[in-house]
Amino acid sequence: MSHGSIIKVPFGPQHPALKEPENFLLEVDGETVVDVKPRLGYNHRGMEKAFELKTYIQNIYLAERICGICSDAHTTCYTQAIEELLGVEPPPRARYIRVIIAELERIQSHTLWVGLAAHEIGFSTLFMYVWRDRETVLDMFEMISGNRIHYAMNTIGGVRRDIRGDIVSKIVKGLDFLEQRLEYYLDTVQTEQTILKRAAGVGILRPKDAVSLCAVGPTLRASGIRNDVRSDDPYVAYDEIPFNVVAHDGCDVLSRMLVRCEETLESIKIIRYALDSMPDGIIVVKVPKKIPRGEVVSRVEAPRGELIHYAKSNGTAKPERYKVRSPTLANIPALCKMLRGGYVADIPIVLAGIDPCFSCMDRMAFVDIRKNEKWVWTMQQLRRKYTKG
Amino acid sequence: MGLDYAAVEKEVHKRMTTETIASLLSILVFPGAIFLLALAFFYEWVDRKFFARLQNRYGPLHTGPHGILQPIADFLKLLSKEDISPHASDRLVLTLAPIFYVALPLSTLFVIPILSYASLIRFEGDLIFVLFMFTLVTITVFLAGWSSTSRFSTIGSVRATLQMLGYEIPMGLVAVGPAIAAGSLSISRIVEWQSLRFWLVLLQPLGFAILTVCLLAELQFVPFDIPEAETEIVAGWRTEFTGRKLALLRLGKDLELVLASALMASLYLGGSQHFWLIPPIAIFLMKTTFVVMLLSLLRSAFARFRIDQMLSGMWKYLLPLATLQIILIQLGFGG
Repeated sequence: MSHGSIIKVPFGPQHPALKEPENFLLEVDGETVVDVKPRLGYNHRGMEKAFELKTYIQNIYLAERICGICSDAHTTCYTQAIEELLGVEPPPRARYIRVIIAELERIQSHTLWVGLAAHEIGFSTLFMYVWRDRETVLDMFEMISGNRIHYAMNTIGGVRRDIRGDIVSKIVKGLDFLEQRLEYYLDTVQTEQTILKRAAGVGILRPKDAVSLCAVGPTLRASGIRNDVRSDDPYVAYDEIPFNVVAHDGCDVLSRMLVRCEETLESIKIIRYALDSMPDGIIVVKVPKKIPRGEVVSRVEAPRGELIHYAKSNGTAKPERYKVRSPTLANIPALCKMLRGGYVADIPIVLAGIDPCFSCMDRMAFVDIRKNEKWVWTMQQLRRKYTKG
Repeated sequence: MGLDYAAVEKEVHKRMTTETIASLLSILVFPGAIFLLALAFFYEWVDRKFFARLQNRYGPLHTGPHGILQPIADFLKLLSKEDISPHASDRLVLTLAPIFYVALPLSTLFVIPILSYASLIRFEGDLIFVLFMFTLVTITVFLAGWSSTSRFSTIGSVRATLQMLGYEIPMGLVAVGPAIAAGSLSISRIVEWQSLRFWLVLLQPLGFAILTVCLLAELQFVPFDIPEAETEIVAGWRTEFTGRKLALLRLGKDLELVLASALMASLYLGGSQHFWLIPPIAIFLMKTTFVVMLLSLLRSAFARFRIDQMLSGMWKYLLPLATLQIILIQLGFGG
C-alpha cells in the first residue's frame, strides 16, 4: 500500500447520494477509504431553543416536525415524557392506537429505506416497485388521520383520533397486500445476485465495535445484537403484544437490508394483533396546561433506532430545557467505522445503511477535530461572520 | 457516320449527376444521416418508454402521441441552454469531444446494411472497422471526462477506460464468430450468408449472449453504468457538460444505441433480409427494436456492479466463454 498517494475527497454537503446536506471528509488511497471525518451541523434548525419558547401543547406539533419520516416516534417520545412529568397514564385504547401508528410508520420508513438502498446501488426498478407499494401505507395514514406524513395523532394524555369501523377492515386488507409484497422483496434481496454482490460483506461493523460505538436500531441488530427499546423497556402497549426482535449477524449492509425487511413483516403482525385485541374505551384524558416541576428522560424505538428525549420543567406552561438525541447521531461513529477500509464505490450504500436523517440530528456546535475543541457561537459572532464575510 | 460526341457526353454527364445526387441523398437523407438521427431519437423513446413501463411508471407522456417526441424536445431544449465550460478545463478537447461522440457512431452506421444486404459503404473487413470505432468512442469518452478536469469527471473517465479493458476483448472475440461462419469479415456478407441459411443466434447462442453483455457495458447501461454512477460520482464523465455539448452527448448515446442494436441484429438476427413481401427495412427496424427492448429489459433487472467486480467478472467468466464459443465454431458446431 502506497502512503504517498492519499488524497482528501469531500463527500457532501452537496452530493447526489445525500438527500440532506452533511459533510464527510474522506481520505482516499486509490479506491480505498483510509479515514473519515464527519462534519455535522449543516442542517441546524434551532429546534431545541424553539421548544423553550412554546407551550407544551404547541410543542407537540414542533416535535412532530423534527423529522418528516419518523414524526410519530418524536411525538410519542415527547408526549410520553410530559405524561410522566404530569403523572398521567394514557387510556388503554390510546396506547394501542399509538402502537398501530408507530408500527405503520416503521413499515413506511423501512420500505422507504429499501427503495433508497436499491437506488444507491443503481437498482432503479426495485426502487420504483418498493415506493409504489409504500403508497399503501401512506394511503392508510391519510385514511386514519387525513395526512400522509405528519399524522398529528398524539396529544398529551392520549391520541386525537380513533381507529374503528370501516377503517379497520381497510387496514387489514392493505396489510395483506403489503405482507405479500414484502415477502417478495425479502426474497429478491436474498437471491438477486447483483444485490448480493454489492451488499454482502460491505460496510462491516463487528458486534464489539457496534456496542462500544453505541450504534442503535437496525444498524445494531444487523450486527447480531438483540437490542430494542420496545422489548427491553416496553412503552405504550408493547408489553402486552407478543413480537420477535429481528437480528442478523452478518454485520454488513445485506444484514441491515434483511433486518429492515423482516422487521416490516414483524410490524404487520404487531398491527394485526393490536387491531384484534384493542380494548374499548376513551382515547384521551384531560390534562392541566401547567406541568409540575421536574425533569424526565423518555425513550422509544424509532424506525431508525433508539430515540431519546429529555425535558426539564420549571412549573410553567413552557419547558425550561428540551433535548433530543436522534438515532442518526448515535450511529455516526459506527458509520465512520464502517466506511474505513471500504471502497469509494461503496460509500453511498454504506452511508445509506444507517438510514441517516441529518436534519433530525443536527445541533449547532463547532468541533475542531485536530485541536479536539468544542465551542458554540453566539448570535453576535454569527452576525459578524455573515455580515462582513 | 460519326458519333455525336456532344450528345454522348451530355447523356453521360446527366447520368452521373443523377447518380451523384442519388448517392448524396442516400448518405444525407435516407438511409443516411437524417434517417439515422430520427431513428436515434425513436430508439431513445422506445428505451425510455419500455424501461418506464417495466418499472411501472408512465415514462414520456405529453410531447407527441405517447410522448414519442420527448427525446427531440429534450434535445432542442438543451440546445437553447447556457453553454458553460469549467475554468480549468481544456476548452478545445471539451468542445471537440461531443462532436466526435456523435460523428463516430453516425459514420459507423453507414457500414451496417439497412435497406438491403448491401450497406452504403462496404469493404472486406468493415466488421473490424466497427469494433475499432467502438473503441474510439470509449476513448472519446475518456477525453471528454479528462478534459473537464472535475474530480467526478476524472473518476468517471478512468472508470470508462477500465471498463473497456474488460469488455473489449470478449466482444472482439465473439464478433469474429459470425465472420468465421460466413467466411467473410464484411457485415453485408454475413447478413447475406444468414439470409441463405439460418440466423446465427440459432447456431451461436452463447456468442449472442456474450455480445449482449458486452454491448450493455459499451452503452454504459445498468449493471455496467459504473462510469456514470449517479449516486457515487454525480454524472461521471459527463458531469461538466451543459447546453449544446450535453445535447450532443445525449444524441451520441442514442446513436450508439442504434449502432449496438443494428450490429446485434446484423450479426446474429439476420439483419435486413427479404421475407415474403415485407421490405427488408421493415424487418431491420423490427429486429433492432427488439434488441433495444432486450437491452432495456436487462438494464431494468439488475443493480450496478462495482468496477473491480465488473472487471474480474469479465476476465473470469466472459473471456473464457467467448474463447469456448470460438473453439466450438472451429470444431464445427455453430459454423
